[in-house]
Amino acid sequence: MPDLGLLKWARRNSPWLLHFNTGACNGCDIEVVSLLTPRYDVERFGAKLEPSPRHADVLVVTGPVTRQCAPRLKMIYEQMPSPKFVVAVGACSCSGGIFQNCYNISGRLDEIIPVDVYVPGCPPKPEAILQGVAKLLAKLKG
Amino acid sequence: MERFEKALEVLKNNLADSIDELKVPRPRKAYVFLKPENHREAISLLLKQVEETILSTITGVDLGEEIELNYHMICGGTVTLKIRVPKENPVTKSICDLIPGANLYEREVFDLLGVTFEGHPNMERLLLPESWPQGNYPLRRDWQAPEHQEDVFMSKDESQPESVSEASESLVNVIVGPQHPVLHEPEKFSFTLDGEKVVDVNARLGYVHRGIEKAAEKMMYFQDVYLVERICGICNAAHTTVFCQAVEDIANVETPPRAQYYRTIVHELNRIHSHLLLLGVAGHLLGFESLFQHVWRDREPIMDIVERITGNRLMSGFNTIGGVRRDIAPSTIEKTLKTLKDVRKRAVFYKNVFEEDATLRLRTEGVGVLSREDALKLCVVGPVLRGSGVASDVRKDEPYAAYDEIPFNVISYTDCDTWARLMVRVDEVVESINIVEYALANLPDGKIRVRVQRKIPEGEATSRVEAPRGALIHYVKSDGSAYPYRVKVRAPTLANLVAFPDAIRGGYVADIPSVMGSLDPCFSCTDRMAFIDTNNNKKWHWSLDDVNNQKNRKVLI
Ligand code: SF4
Repeated sequence: MPDLGLLKWARRNSPWLLHFNTGACNGCDIEVVSLLTPRYDVERFGAKLEPSPRHADVLVVTGPVTRQCAPRLKMIYEQMPSPKFVVAVGACSCSGGIFQNCYNISGRLDEIIPVDVYVPGCPPKPEAILQGVAKLLAKLKG
Repeated sequence: MERFEKALEVLKNNLADSIDELKVPRPRKAYVFLKPENHREAISLLLKQVEETILSTITGVDLGEEIELNYHMICGGTVTLKIRVPKENPVTKSICDLIPGANLYEREVFDLLGVTFEGHPNMERLLLPESWPQGNYPLRRDWQAPEHQEDVFMSKDESQPESVSEASESLVNVIVGPQHPVLHEPEKFSFTLDGEKVVDVNARLGYVHRGIEKAAEKMMYFQDVYLVERICGICNAAHTTVFCQAVEDIANVETPPRAQYYRTIVHELNRIHSHLLLLGVAGHLLGFESLFQHVWRDREPIMDIVERITGNRLMSGFNTIGGVRRDIAPSTIEKTLKTLKDVRKRAVFYKNVFEEDATLRLRTEGVGVLSREDALKLCVVGPVLRGSGVASDVRKDEPYAAYDEIPFNVISYTDCDTWARLMVRVDEVVESINIVEYALANLPDGKIRVRVQRKIPEGEATSRVEAPRGALIHYVKSDGSAYPYRVKVRAPTLANLVAFPDAIRGGYVADIPSVMGSLDPCFSCTDRMAFIDTNNNKKWHWSLDDVNNQKNRKVLI
């Protein structure tokens, strides 16, 4: 069967996001949720927040990774079907942020699972997260 | 004022022999040094003789040879009862039988400082991972993180279900979390269900425990302002206000009146956005998706003015020790007043919706009832306490910032259910708008900040504010250097979470989201609940290997 690029096309046009907080202060989470609301309206890109790892293409992670969350995070990542993408939202998941030397932090996000897009900021504005998602979509296209 | 003085009288008259010292360094803040083991007597006296007394938290401080336990009792002011236990053998008696709300606080001290409370119903870990090595207490001053021990620390398998109460065949144990579509934050609840009825619930916290209190000891006071701000992104201004107040108290700094007004304004804007956020989430949890979208749209203009005033939508970085960091431009004041006028109209509209929408009332009225007595016994705070008919608000009880100069009402409802807790928040949005408008109209002139030395003199202070979710307490101890000796934080959510089992017991599965939501807004609003049944013949013990094993890949959603 000829490759029509259908899968790629579908993935690009309807990325389903799974959100996981690995120890965030809620700042980033609120901004991620804001994306769904009328002003930012991420749904116009076909994106949708999806609760099940088995249905999601993109894992959106907020916060530094605490020791309790690290095994969970890996497990969820493993459960997602390939190809899968990871967006690190906020200073905490990009670098550990202000919490990097805390005793219950097991590390940066990319020390635990591979990351495709980093969105810095504490917290990043919803516009910035949107741009991160858009960049990811551009990457998929290209 | 009366209750606070009465509390001191009661202690002095009945416990003269067991009191080593009684200090009242600042109005409505007392420190009582007790002989060992006399805390139970003092606490039961206060509970019996001073109405509406609650326990705010228990702070453990490592003093080298001894560990000091501070019981922060709230009775019209803050009375801190202090006892000491030897570090060699840190044991004392539990107070859970006197006041059940102490349960989590004692477990927290046990987990982080290694003090055992005799008679506690369930002396187990609260915050640290199960695999945390025994005998390591991170909040002790001499504790060092063991090096190269990643694997010791790495949490093994946290996904095992807690033991099911096997009393009856019809009981089903259902685990929700830690990663979960409805929960914003990872937390694990295990419900015991009998058909649709909730028999019991057990919570495992600590998934977001990062170790901020330890980190605070390694940073200077001025840096700590930015650290405590990041305890919670939603009520960040409350955290910085309360921390700065504690440090200013120790250093005896008077903040200029203009700064006090500015603090009040940003604090109230915080409350408006936080309450709107929760009301939206509640709408979602109750099945009113459009309500969620509407409320969150109306919240955006508030975020805009916060951004204009402080420079950021969420992490305001506005407060600092000695005052605030920015002045507010006249054009911003104009914009703020205009925005608030619009938001007020919407708030009135939402009040109508919550009062008149029949379905909404059906789903919230009489659901998740928490009686007045239970609320006091469990030491809940904020809108949860006020929804149970106790008109307690730190802004009135222990005025801080500019609250003693600004008129406002304390909202309380006597219905004690989910509806009442939501209504408290609806009404408080309007009250907060009044406060901000009044503060902007009556702004005093003058400086916005006084300079404070980096080194803070020796001393200690407890400070309380009314964060959007309820009373928030910080305890700071200084040893005279630029670094705090101990910073203790008790956020309102921890206090309110203990009420969840009582509120939901006997309720229906369908009520779980709304009751949870009405107690604590740390829940995302993305989808409905997913259940994992643990009581069928297939056991759900997930480890990474199991997950990789194709046979086990099955999720019930
Ligand atoms: S980046 Fe900032 S806002 Fe985001 S979780 Fe970390 S501290 Fe909170």
